Amino acid sequence: MRARPAEVADPGDVSPGVQSAAQRLRGSLQLRHVDAGSCNGCEMEIASIFSPVYDAERFGIRLEASPRHADGLLVTGPVTRNMAEPLRKTFEAVPRPRIVVAVGDCARDCGVFRGAYGVEGAVSDVVPVDLEVPGCPPDPAAIVRALRGLAGT
Amino acid sequence: MTPALLVATALAGLAASLAGAVTPDRLRIRVSTSLTIGACGCALIAGINILHSGHPAVVHTTALMPLSGFSLALDRFGALFVVISAVVGICALVFRLGYIGHGLGSRTASCILPLFVTTLLLVPAASNVTTFLFLWELMAITSLLLVLTDHAHRGEVQVAAQWYAVMTQLGAAALILGLVLLATRTGSQSFAVIALRSAHLPTWVRSTAFVLALVGFGSKAGAVPLHVWLPRAHPEAPGPVSALMSAAMVNLGVYGIVRVGMGLLGGGPTWWWLLVMFLGALSAMFGSLHSATSRDLKRLLAYSTTDNVGLMLLGVGASGLFASTGHRALAVVALVAALLHVVFHAVFKGSLFLSASSVQQATGSTDLDGLGGLLQRMPVSGPIFLVGGLAIAALPPFCGFVSEWLLLQSMLHGLPSSDVAIAVAMPIGVGVLALTGGLTAFTFAKAIGIGLLGLPRTDGAERATEVRRPMWVGAGLLALLCLVFGVAPFLVIPAVVDAAGVVTRFHSAGALTHGWQIGLPGVPGMLAPGLLALGLLVCTGLVALARGLVRRSPVRLTEAWGCGRELQTARMEYTATSFGEPLTRVFEDVLNPSRDIDASHIAESRYYTEAAVIHTSLEDAFERHLYRPADRGFQRWGALARRVPNGSVHRYLAFGLVALIIVLVVLA
Repeated sequence: MRARPAEVADPGDVSPGVQSAAQRLRGSLQLRHVDAGSCNGCEMEIASIFSPVYDAERFGIRLEASPRHADGLLVTGPVTRNMAEPLRKTFEAVPRPRIVVAVGDCARDCGVFRGAYGVEGAVSDVVPVDLEVPGCPPDPAAIVRALRGLAGT
Repeated sequence: MTPALLVATALAGLAASLAGAVTPDRLRIRVSTSLTIGACGCALIAGINILHSGHPAVVHTTALMPLSGFSLALDRFGALFVVISAVVGICALVFRLGYIGHGLGSRTASCILPLFVTTLLLVPAASNVTTFLFLWELMAITSLLLVLTDHAHRGEVQVAAQWYAVMTQLGAAALILGLVLLATRTGSQSFAVIALRSAHLPTWVRSTAFVLALVGFGSKAGAVPLHVWLPRAHPEAPGPVSALMSAAMVNLGVYGIVRVGMGLLGGGPTWWWLLVMFLGALSAMFGSLHSATSRDLKRLLAYSTTDNVGLMLLGVGASGLFASTGHRALAVVALVAALLHVVFHAVFKGSLFLSASSVQQATGSTDLDGLGGLLQRMPVSGPIFLVGGLAIAALPPFCGFVSEWLLLQSMLHGLPSSDVAIAVAMPIGVGVLALTGGLTAFTFAKAIGIGLLGLPRTDGAERATEVRRPMWVGAGLLALLCLVFGVAPFLVIPAVVDAAGVVTRFHSAGALTHGWQIGLPGVPGMLAPGLLALGLLVCTGLVALARGLVRRSPVRLTEAWGCGRELQTARMEYTATSFGEPLTRVFEDVLNPSRDIDASHIAESRYYTEAAVIHTSLEDAFERHLYRPADRGFQRWGALARRVPNGSVHRYLAFGLVALIIVLVVLA
């Protein structure tokens, strides 16, 4: 990591599954990204972790096109009413054992959209969340650090 | 005893036809079908008896047809075809007992179907030109009428029947010319006498007769470019009739080519057989390509018949080529392979056509893009189609594998030959066989994958249930034979070798079967289908055992992944059209795909589409470039000719005067 920001976000709550996941995944983490209703701020930061600056792929972290090929989900945004069912279906489509990473404040607790008419709830209201990355949007370095913790790299 | 059985066959067939015409509605189908099955049974016993003993059965009567007499003489070669027709006939008729619809229950159809089956049984026994042509034409006309049974309800039936009528009569005309030419030049109607004297005929007579016979029999066999009636007539004909036509009638085209080319004319120059091989290769490739891209199940099967007839002709041509260049052992192997393919094709195509008709009856459609999920809904007919599909894709342990293996071996062993014709033709033949094999596997992966697996795409497929027992019994018998012949081909190979010996007039260097194995006399190569089947069974068992032993986490069933869409319907499944699309693109020049999009707009704005319909179709290249221009030409000629008799009395008087003058001039 070349760019090391001054403030490093806290990795957030870590469920016991994450500890074993790091041993199980052994340096390879394939994730399917689901935008559950994000403002696209988190998407910008996720895109940048695969840029030459952060280059998350060198830690074995990759985005997958299909949940069938993924170890888990990377969910951004508050879960809107329209995206609640697709999120559940995508979660069902991931083979077990599976991990859910909620990226950004909206994914954690709906952020500024809390109580909005189109919002069903936070990600943890719809699917069980294993790891949260706070921030609005979270710093790319924080996302990389959280995912590295998962991948064990 | 066997001549009496042949007579019994004819009488039972006529009685069945009569019963179909006069018995009351309630009994009609049962009585006439049972009597026809009886006719098939008599023919089957007679055929097996002859194949076993080798004594031809001769029936001759002058009472039926004046001048020539009605004469039948069934030798081992003919008996092979009689047995095939009889087995297919019995299964198709059992199937028919449960089959409803397509107008097959009508009085006319009940009267004609027995006649058709009887002619299928007797054509291979005909032993003089008049008898042969009489039975041949009776077969053509009865099958035409049977194709037409549903004409009142669907317009396409009439178009299909017109194509069939024209093609079959064109073939019959060529056949009459060819056989009459032979009969007049040898001075006898009898096939036996023609065979004796034909060697002394001038070359042009022999070649003309052969080419005419090739055209005549080729049109019946459905060889390219005379195949156009097949993909039209088969989908429109009632189920049992299309099975009989595809599994029994087209065989008689191959029978005729072998009988005339090898039997009556005793082989010929190299170019005859190169021509046969060329037609075979063309049919095989064209047929398999079209069947791979068809979306109608019965059309797919009809094109696949053209494909398989091509393989038979490839074998027949290779055999003639080997014989004309002195490779006798290989000639026998190639002919045996071709005849074996005739037998096996009848078995698997019969089961495929019958189970496709079951599907049609259960779902009301043969459009693959509207089927799906039938393996669950039709627990007997589905597996029957599966077995037929595996057999036609030449996968062991089913029968298609054995004949295609033999065909491939015979051509591969011809490769080291020093003869130029063989050295050029055989690698092409091997390539065609390989391409066809791949395309056939593709075709049936499509038919089974789209039609039988997945979710039902229409209400008809959703509501499908298993058909009535006679239907799956009829189709199932043939499917069972696919497996039996695939595991134990030695049950039929000796009979086929004997049958081939009758026409080639020399016997193979040794038997083709040694116990459980098939060997190639004179050349290295060995196959033990029984052991192969056993090996497959053991391997499958081991895999199942290994899966059972290895502890696995419990299987979790979830919805198929559809990008999280909330409404996932069967319309989003892969279709037959999309499955064949890459192939359509690759072979665009041959298949002539056309695509048309109809879009309608909502009333308020032209920028919003209300509905879009896409029409895709493939056109037969021969129909487009050969038959349509010919048809237009005939229409133009007809229009011109209609101008000549314009109704004017003066003109007709002038015609008479001119004709009189011409006659006087000629006579003077």
